[in-house]
Amino acid sequence: MERCLEFKGIEKAFPGVRALQDINFRVKGGRVLALLGENGAGKSTLLKIMSGDLRADAGTITLNGREMNFSSPNDAIRAGISVIYQERQLVPAMSVAENIFPGIPPRGALGLVAGKQLKRQAQELIDKFGLSIDPAAPVGTLSVAYQQMVEIMKAYRRDSDVIAFDEPTAPLTDAEIAILFDLIRRLKEAGKIILYVSHRLSEIFQVTDEIVVLKDGRLVAEMKTSETGEQELIRAMVGRDIGDTYAGLNRNDKIGEVLLEVSHLETDVLRDVSFTLRRGEIVGFAGLVGAGRTEVARAIFGADPVSSGEIKIEGKPVRFKTPKDAIDAGVALCPEDRKEQGLVLFRSVRDNVTMPILAKVKRGLFLDNHAEDEITIDAVKRYAIKTPTVDKIVMELSGGNQQKVILGRWTSSKMTTKILILDEPTKGIDVGTKAEVYQMVCDFAGQGIGVIFISSELTEVVNISDTIVVMHGGRVTGQMTRQEATEEKVLALAMLD
Amino acid sequence: MKRLLRSKTVMLVYVSAVVVAVFFIMNHNYLSGDNIRGIMNNMSLSGTLGVGMAFLLMGGGIDLAAGAEGCFGAVLVALLMKTGMPWPVAMLLGLMYGAAAGALNAFLINGLNFMGFIATIAMSSVYNGFALVLTNNQNVAISNQAFWRVGSYALFGVFPMAFVILIGLIAVYGFILAKTRFGRCILLCGGNRMAARLAGVSPKKVTTILYMNCGALATLAGSVLAARMHNASPTAVATGALDAITAAVLGGVSFMGGGGSIGGLLIGLILLNTFNNGLIVVQLPSYWQIVSQGALLIIALCVDFFNERAKALALKSSSAKRAV
Ligand SMILES: Nc1ncnc2c1ncn2[C@@H]1O[C@H](COP(=O)(O)OP(=O)(O)OP(=O)(O)O)[C@@H](O)[C@H]1O
Ligand SMILES: [Mg+2]
Repeated sequence: MERCLEFKGIEKAFPGVRALQDINFRVKGGRVLALLGENGAGKSTLLKIMSGDLRADAGTITLNGREMNFSSPNDAIRAGISVIYQERQLVPAMSVAENIFPGIPPRGALGLVAGKQLKRQAQELIDKFGLSIDPAAPVGTLSVAYQQMVEIMKAYRRDSDVIAFDEPTAPLTDAEIAILFDLIRRLKEAGKIILYVSHRLSEIFQVTDEIVVLKDGRLVAEMKTSETGEQELIRAMVGRDIGDTYAGLNRNDKIGEVLLEVSHLETDVLRDVSFTLRRGEIVGFAGLVGAGRTEVARAIFGADPVSSGEIKIEGKPVRFKTPKDAIDAGVALCPEDRKEQGLVLFRSVRDNVTMPILAKVKRGLFLDNHAEDEITIDAVKRYAIKTPTVDKIVMELSGGNQQKVILGRWTSSKMTTKILILDEPTKGIDVGTKAEVYQMVCDFAGQGIGVIFISSELTEVVNISDTIVVMHGGRVTGQMTRQEATEEKVLALAMLD
Repeated sequence: MKRLLRSKTVMLVYVSAVVVAVFFIMNHNYLSGDNIRGIMNNMSLSGTLGVGMAFLLMGGGIDLAAGAEGCFGAVLVALLMKTGMPWPVAMLLGLMYGAAAGALNAFLINGLNFMGFIATIAMSSVYNGFALVLTNNQNVAISNQAFWRVGSYALFGVFPMAFVILIGLIAVYGFILAKTRFGRCILLCGGNRMAARLAGVSPKKVTTILYMNCGALATLAGSVLAARMHNASPTAVATGALDAITAAVLGGVSFMGGGGSIGGLLIGLILLNTFNNGLIVVQLPSYWQIVSQGALLIIALCVDFFNERAKALALKSSSAKRAV
C-alpha cells in the first residue's frame, strides 16, 4: 500500500502569535518534501504537532487514511512518525547504544547479555552509516555533529513510515551531510514519507522532490523541486528578491595593522596554531567538525585553559583567565551552541541581549530598563527577530530567532569590540537574514574591527573571508586569501591526514 | 511562563487565605494579637534565613547547612557577649563568621567542585557538632539586657523587631533582585551558568557572594532568636534550612535556579508560617506537626517538579559536554 500523509486545516496560536493558519497539503510515500520558510514561519511548530508534542487548535493529520490523534510523542512514534528535532534530545550521560535504543534496559534480567546485544546492534547501525563512533561512549562526549548522527540513527532504527528532519544539517559539515543524504535516498527508495526542513537552499535541490513554503504561519506556495529555481524560492519565502548574496556585498578593503597575533598556541586539543588577524580583516576558519576551530576561539576568549603559546593583541601579550577579562579587553565571542552556551532560555529576549553590557546600562546603582529596552529593540529590528515583545522568554522563540538574539547580543551598539569572533553565526538563520548578517560582518570590518568567522558552510567561509585558515585535527593545515581559495582547495586541506 | 508564575502567586494568596480561615474557624484564638505576634516572630526566623536561601537557590546553589550555621553563629555571639563584649561588636563578629562559613561552602563547591548538597550536608554536621561541643548541649544564657531589646523591641508597640528586620531585608533584597546588575546576574547564573560565564558574568563570584550572604543571614536569624529567648540554643534553628527552602520553593523560587521573586518568597513565608502555627494552635500532636511540615515541603517540591518538568519537556535533552 502506498503511504500518504495529509494535513488538513491545521491551526495553532501561541500568546501573541498565530503560528499556523489553515495549513493544507499532502505527501506520498517515496517522496521527500521540503518545508521552507523564514525564521518563525511555523515549520517546527507544524512538525511538533505532527509528532504529538503540541496540540493543534484545529485541523487534522491523517496517515494512510487514518486520522492521527496523539496526546504524546510516544503515541506518534507508535503510529510510525519520527521527528528529528532542531534541538537535540539525547541523554548526555548515557551511551550511544542506550540512546539509540531507549527504554531497553542495558542490565535487564539477563544483565550483561542484553548490554552486549545492544552494543552489537548499535555497532551494526553505526557501520551501516559508515561512521566511527564507539557505541559505548557517553553521548555527551561526542561532537555536536556526531550527536546529531546518533539522533538520526535513533529515528532510523524505529523504522517509521514518516521521518521528519528539522534542520538536520545545521551542525554538520559536508562529509556528514553526504552520509545523511545517502541515507535519505535509501529511506525514499523504501517508500517512506520524508519531511525535510533546512535553510540551506542547495540542499533542497539535492534531496527533495516537492516544496511547501510557509510564511507567517500560512502556506504560500507549493511546488515541485524540479520545476523551480533558487530565486523563485527565495521570493516565495521572503516576499522580495535578494540579489547575489556575495557579489552584492559592500566589502571593506582597508585592512590595517596587526590586531591579533596567535603563535604556537596549544591546548588539550590544539597543536601549534598560529595566525594573525588585522584591523578590518575577516579571517575565516574552515575545517571539519572537530578540527579545533571552536577551541581556537575559546582559547583566545579565556574560556578554556591554554597550555602554551602566545596571544598578542595590538602587540601586547595577553592570556585571559575568564571570558570577562576578554570582553573587557574588547574581544567578543558569539558561541556555537546557542542552547548550552549562548542563551539563558528562561529569561527574556532583553535579559539575553544585555548580558555582556549590564555594566553599561546602569543609572546609578540600578539597571536602566529603558536603555536596555532600546538596545534590545534595536537588535530586534536589525536582525528582524520575530518576537511580540522584548519581554518574551527566549525559549518560546523559533530556533533561528534564538540565534539572532545571540547575534544581537554580541553586536549591540554598547559593545566596544575590537575583535569579534563568530562561531557558526548563521546556524539556523533564514536566507534573507543571512545576507544581512554577511553585510553586517563586512560593516564591522569596515569599522576597523577584526572578525574571526568560523563556519561549517564552506561556501560561506570561502566567500566572506579575506583570509581563510583551514584546520584539521587541532592543527592549521593551510591558509589562503579569498582570491586564491576555492571550495575544493579548502576541502582538500580540511580532510588532510 | 510569566503568566503562569503570576497566576501561581495569586493562587498561593488564595491558599494562604483558606489556611488562615480554616484554622480560625477551628480555633478563634488563631487570630488573637498574641498569636499573630507569634506568627510574625516565627516568620522572621524562617524569613531571614529564607531570603539568603532564596537568593542562593535562584543563583543555582543550595545551603543545607544554613540552620546549623545559624545555631553555631548564635552560640558564638552569646559566648562573645559572655566575655563582656558589647553586643554590636559580638553581632558583627558573628556576621563575619557567617560570611566566612558561606565562603567555605563556596570554596568547596566552586573551588573543589563538590556537589552543593553533599558539601553543605557535611558542613551542617560539622557546625552542629561544634555548637554541641562548645555548649555541651546546654543553652548559653544571655545577660546583656541591651541585646534583649533586639528581641523584645516592638515598633509601634505591635511589630516585633525581628519582623521589622525581615521587612527591611525583603525590601532591600527585592530591589537588588529586580533592579540591580547583581540581581540580574544571579538569575542569569542560575538559569545557565555556562552561558552566563561566556557573556562576562562571573558565576563563581556571584555564587560565592550568595553563599556568604546566606551564612551571614543565618547567623542574624539565629542571633535575633537568641535575643528574644535570652539564651542561645545549639539546636534551636537546626531545621532552619528546611523551612527556608520550603518557603522559597512554595513561593515559586525555582529549585533548579534561574527563577523566582521576592514577592513569591514573602507569600511562601506567610503560607509556611500560618500553616505551621495553625497546627500548633489546633493542638496537633507535635510529632504529627513534624510530619506535616515535611509533607508541605514535598508538596512544594512537587509543584516545582512539575513546573521544571514542563520546562524540561519544552527544553528536552542534552546538556552535552563540550566535544573534544
Ligand atoms: N512554545 C511557544 N510559545 C510561544 N510561542 C511559540 C512557541 N513555540 C513557537 N512559538 C512561536 O511560533 C512561531 C513559529 O515558530 P516555529 O518554531 O514553528 O518557527 P520555524 O519556522 O521553525 O522557525 P526557524 O526557522 O527559526 O526554526 C514563532 O513566532 C515562535 O515565536
Ligand atoms: Mg524551527
